[in-house]
Amino acid sequence: MTMTPRIPLPSDGVNELGLPDTSGWAPAITAARNRLRRAAYRMKSVDPVTTELVRIRNARYQNCYF
Amino acid sequence: MTWLADAPAGTTDWDRLAALCPEPFAALSGLVAAAWAECDPVLLELARLRTAALLGYTAERERRSDRARRAGLTEGKVAELPAWPTSPQFSARERACLAFTEQFVMDANGVTPSLVADVTAHLGAEGCYSFVQAVSALETFQRACLTLGIETAPDVDAHGAASTAPSGPEVPQ
Repeated sequence: MTMTPRIPLPSDGVNELGLPDTSGWAPAITAARNRLRRAAYRMKSVDPVTTELVRIRNARYQNCYF
Repeated sequence: MTWLADAPAGTTDWDRLAALCPEPFAALSGLVAAAWAECDPVLLELARLRTAALLGYTAERERRSDRARRAGLTEGKVAELPAWPTSPQFSARERACLAFTEQFVMDANGVTPSLVADVTAHLGAEGCYSFVQAVSALETFQRACLTLGIETAPDVDAHGAASTAPSGPEVPQ
């Protein structure tokens, strides 16, 4: 599946996924989102299988190919 | 009032539930703070209030950002928010952002290139990127609060005070 970016993206470099590197944009939000993601992964109250099933189901519902 | 009956005592519903899971709550609060730090406060306040209306989050609709008020947002304009497509109080820039916000909240799959192009025309590519990230952050916060039954939460401008949770190891996207 390919996606066409809807906004002009930086052309000077790609990230580990081969996508245009937007890490310089909204850096505070990006850092905060990473903190939230780490916190969610560290929660032990939901087992990893259920967590992964929910993540994949949500990605599919949102049409997100990640 | 949250439906989690066993939550510890606290000043607000948010505080009570945050005591159960401090790290994710601090991280979510930090995300909201970051959203405010990187966006025009009036645009984001309009988006926040419109999101609350669409989600039926009454308590969130009643809160106000003092940051946005200081930047010029009036109660009269907030009262006109349901009529933003036709009200003369809203600029083309605000209409573009509200149109995007409404579609994003109702069904992100329905966001069209045209909606994104309109926001980009007014905010630029980086501004559009920041606005989309910020709206997503506030939507996440509101949906989480609604799901958990959180009616009383920190002031809109008070998020992030405890957001410096330990960073921990990297995790996959």
